[in-house]
Amino acid sequence: MSSVRLPRSPKVLVGAGLVAFFAVLTVVGPYLAPYNPSNTNFNANLTPSSAHWLGTTALGQDIFSQLLVGARATMIVAIVAGVVATILSVTVGVSAGYLGGKSDEGLSLLSNVFLAIPGLPLLIVIDSYLPAGGRSNSFVIGLVISLTGWAWGARVLRAQTMSLRNRDFVEAARIIGESRFRIMVFEIAPNLLPVLASSLLFTILYSIGAYVTLAYVGLTSTAVWNWGTMLYWAQANNAPLAGQWYWFVPPGVCIALIGTGLALMNFGIDEFINPRLRSAGLSSKVRRESGLPRRPRLGFTPVLRPRDASSARAGVR
Amino acid sequence: MRMLARRLSLYVVTAWVAITVNFLLPRMMPGNPVQQLIGKLTGSITPQQVHAIELAFGIGLNQGLWAQYTGYLHQLFVGNLGVSITLSSPVSTVLKSAVPWTVGLIGVSTILSFLLGTLSGALLGWFRGSRLDSLIPVATFFQAVPYFFLGTVMLLVFGSSLHWFPVLGAYSQSVTPGWHWDFVFSLFRYGELPVITIVLSSVAGWMLGMRNMMITMIAEDFVLMAVAKGLPRRKVIMHAARNAVLPSVANLSLAIGLVVSGALLVELVFNYPGVGNLLLQAVLNEDYPLIQGIFLVITMTVLAANLLADIFYFVLDPRTRTEAAV
Amino acid sequence: MNDVDQSLNDTVLEIEDFSVDYGWGEGAVRAVNNVTLSVRRSRVLGIAGESGSGKSTLVYAVTRLLRSPGVIAGGRARLTFDDPGSHDTKRRTVDLTSATSGELRSIRWSQVSIVLQSALNALNPVLRIGHEFDEVLKVHRPSMSKTERRERAAELLGLVGLNEDRLARFPHELSGGQRQRIMIALALALDPQLVIMDEPTTALDVVTQREIVNELAQLRVRFGFSMIFITHDLSLLVELADDIAVMYAGNVVEWAPAGDLYHAPRHPYTLGLLNSSPPLTGERRELVGIAGAPPDLSQPISGCSFRARCPYAFDRCATEVPVLGVVDDSGRKVACWLHETPATVPMPLRIVAPGRDETVPALDQEVVS
Repeated sequence: MSSVRLPRSPKVLVGAGLVAFFAVLTVVGPYLAPYNPSNTNFNANLTPSSAHWLGTTALGQDIFSQLLVGARATMIVAIVAGVVATILSVTVGVSAGYLGGKSDEGLSLLSNVFLAIPGLPLLIVIDSYLPAGGRSNSFVIGLVISLTGWAWGARVLRAQTMSLRNRDFVEAARIIGESRFRIMVFEIAPNLLPVLASSLLFTILYSIGAYVTLAYVGLTSTAVWNWGTMLYWAQANNAPLAGQWYWFVPPGVCIALIGTGLALMNFGIDEFINPRLRSAGLSSKVRRESGLPRRPRLGFTPVLRPRDASSARAGVR
Repeated sequence: MRMLARRLSLYVVTAWVAITVNFLLPRMMPGNPVQQLIGKLTGSITPQQVHAIELAFGIGLNQGLWAQYTGYLHQLFVGNLGVSITLSSPVSTVLKSAVPWTVGLIGVSTILSFLLGTLSGALLGWFRGSRLDSLIPVATFFQAVPYFFLGTVMLLVFGSSLHWFPVLGAYSQSVTPGWHWDFVFSLFRYGELPVITIVLSSVAGWMLGMRNMMITMIAEDFVLMAVAKGLPRRKVIMHAARNAVLPSVANLSLAIGLVVSGALLVELVFNYPGVGNLLLQAVLNEDYPLIQGIFLVITMTVLAANLLADIFYFVLDPRTRTEAAV
Repeated sequence: MNDVDQSLNDTVLEIEDFSVDYGWGEGAVRAVNNVTLSVRRSRVLGIAGESGSGKSTLVYAVTRLLRSPGVIAGGRARLTFDDPGSHDTKRRTVDLTSATSGELRSIRWSQVSIVLQSALNALNPVLRIGHEFDEVLKVHRPSMSKTERRERAAELLGLVGLNEDRLARFPHELSGGQRQRIMIALALALDPQLVIMDEPTTALDVVTQREIVNELAQLRVRFGFSMIFITHDLSLLVELADDIAVMYAGNVVEWAPAGDLYHAPRHPYTLGLLNSSPPLTGERRELVGIAGAPPDLSQPISGCSFRARCPYAFDRCATEVPVLGVVDDSGRKVACWLHETPATVPMPLRIVAPGRDETVPALDQEVVS
């Protein structure tokens, strides 16, 4: 467990690249924006040009600037929600898995209840009661999203903790007389890292979706620029039907790309957790040079042999 | 049987939590939301509307919280979800016309998506390393696209540009609803694009989950035995798939909530007359009784679907049926 | 009967110069090295060795069931069987290493069946026992009706002493012994020429183990199938097997009729294995393990692979690889330099470990040969 050797498949590399790109955009996006995204001084409904790479909105705002500025708000909410939800799921999941008994039953029930309630409708209900100040605050929105997104991680972490709990080294710590808290923090938590990372990526992915959806529906402040509000304004101004693809397609594609990046990175973690998912180590080139099939076939062990015509069919007599 | 009983009690608790949250949320709002709301509702406002709002927020009733709560539970029990502020009709009546559309759309899409994803996942897992693997990043991309965005693009490309599918609404305006062929056909045609959208967005989850389980199963002895028995490949794959599908079915109940969440927005994009569309109208109009009623109905429907999924699992896995097994 | 070579013309399975690698290219590790063995008709070949000796790898590779990254690096495996298609009992021989997937599929289970160590893992957990029988019969005997298949399944369960009501059960509802009996019954469903038993009793308690071995011996006499029995327990093999092959680090180090091997082991490793398993009869004695561990196959080995653990090792063992060869009139084969230079060591072997006194009572001297 201690030697971290993440699989370096192309999938994982592409995923990490995508995530890194958007991470950088989160930091520098607002500085790169050529104009103030709320500035309505330009002509309305301009098509893409060198001055406005993605044209302008019906109110005469620069869309490219909105896209760059919007990256930050989108990502901040997603990260806040992802981190808070992960903290919640670790607390509930690890405690439930480690303590067992009545505490486990109570905590499992809690996470199962949150899993069973459909997340988005709950989110919409809570959000519709938020005062206007709350809706424009990224942290408040992030907290509300985390409330609906922690349960899945808690469930996975609980299962993993339960399996770890019975392993030798934890047993040993218990016999030595280490406190439950120490065992949980120092013995079990480090071994949960891969599952934790996977759960964090998933919650961030979920949070992006949830935030963008809330914004698209108009349940966050429409004055805060994020990819969801861009889609909201595009929809409100009938951009799709007017053929203004440069207005509504870029934010959607950005959401999809960051989501794809996170999911691809998750494949790497999956392969790390479950070695059976890893593909056999050698390149297909070596395979082919050795005369082996491209794909291993169960129940048909390959035979390494330069086959000449006489021996190939000599099997049946 | 114990497993089913446990799940059932979970859903009862969940339903209770949802109802209680629904009861408490409006009562936790700061200030006097009723006055704000009445101020926002321009034009004439009837005394009935004022009463509906007051009921929803529990204001102006000279009752303690507990009495309100028991009264609320009682009203729910007899099917009274309050009165919609904007539509001025009982929430239950409004929902009665919307629920079947949503259940139909999401039900059909979920079943299709599950079948398609499980089947393709089984094949992807079995033929791992083949060219089929290139489907994985594609499916991942579609999974990451928000449902409503994919819906918008599909609507534009295949609906309004190419005219391959009729769009907007659940059936053609030129047919009268009823159980006759024209209507059913129209229903089918109008449903295609929303269903395709939901399936495309949700299929990757089933596919990848099934693929991973399939790969895990292939390493099991009984799959090797199926090969050793000289069974045809189709049967060997079935041996593995029959077991690999179990976690997918176990997750079915968890995933329904997620799919419903996404699919509600697809209704908005396609102007489908279901609950999702209604919910968003209610949100825009700040029609709180309606919002709450919809939330409850969605939650109850999802819980019922969860129970169905659990029964399905119960049927598929014999190990859940015998208690004594160790 | 003791002569292995003489019966070659009536063999069911002939394994010739068979090698198996894990991985390919430069990363390949040789797990089975140039093994030549044969299974005589209606006889039992026992293969013994520690874990990692290559005994299971060999058998899975021969049947082409070895999983990736296992690769057959060379050799032949010829299976001879009565062709069910022809009217007269015409014998047919198929080289499994060059058989097509279709040929393999038709040979599997109808000619070669296999029983694994854990029947719980070998039986599909979501299928009823009856389904396993039904499926095999349906695929290989398409002419059988549903009732006939059911009757056959009940008959097979009767052979292993189980009631036919077990057919309606799921694997998790049965005990370990019952499951393993079911696997044996299933293996006999199509009257195969060869049944492979891969440590079929290891997961069971001693009493059940004993019962099942006895049943197997009876069934074999009754139906006359050949058997390969893989185990690390040599004394178990002595009872059941006609011939025994001992494997070490991917090589067959000794191959002899069971009695000869038991009473007069010729390879120091065979002696070590015998010393580490309880005796069949007679007085109790101290069990002694073999000091050291099997070599790491991914590292190149010079000379004899058992050298480092061998109390008899001498100069030649370090430089030259011993080959399996006939050592005496009985035709038994050993891969050990001791027998090329008989003067070096007194026969038969009975040293336990280097530096130890001969605390082990002498085994009966060469009773058979």
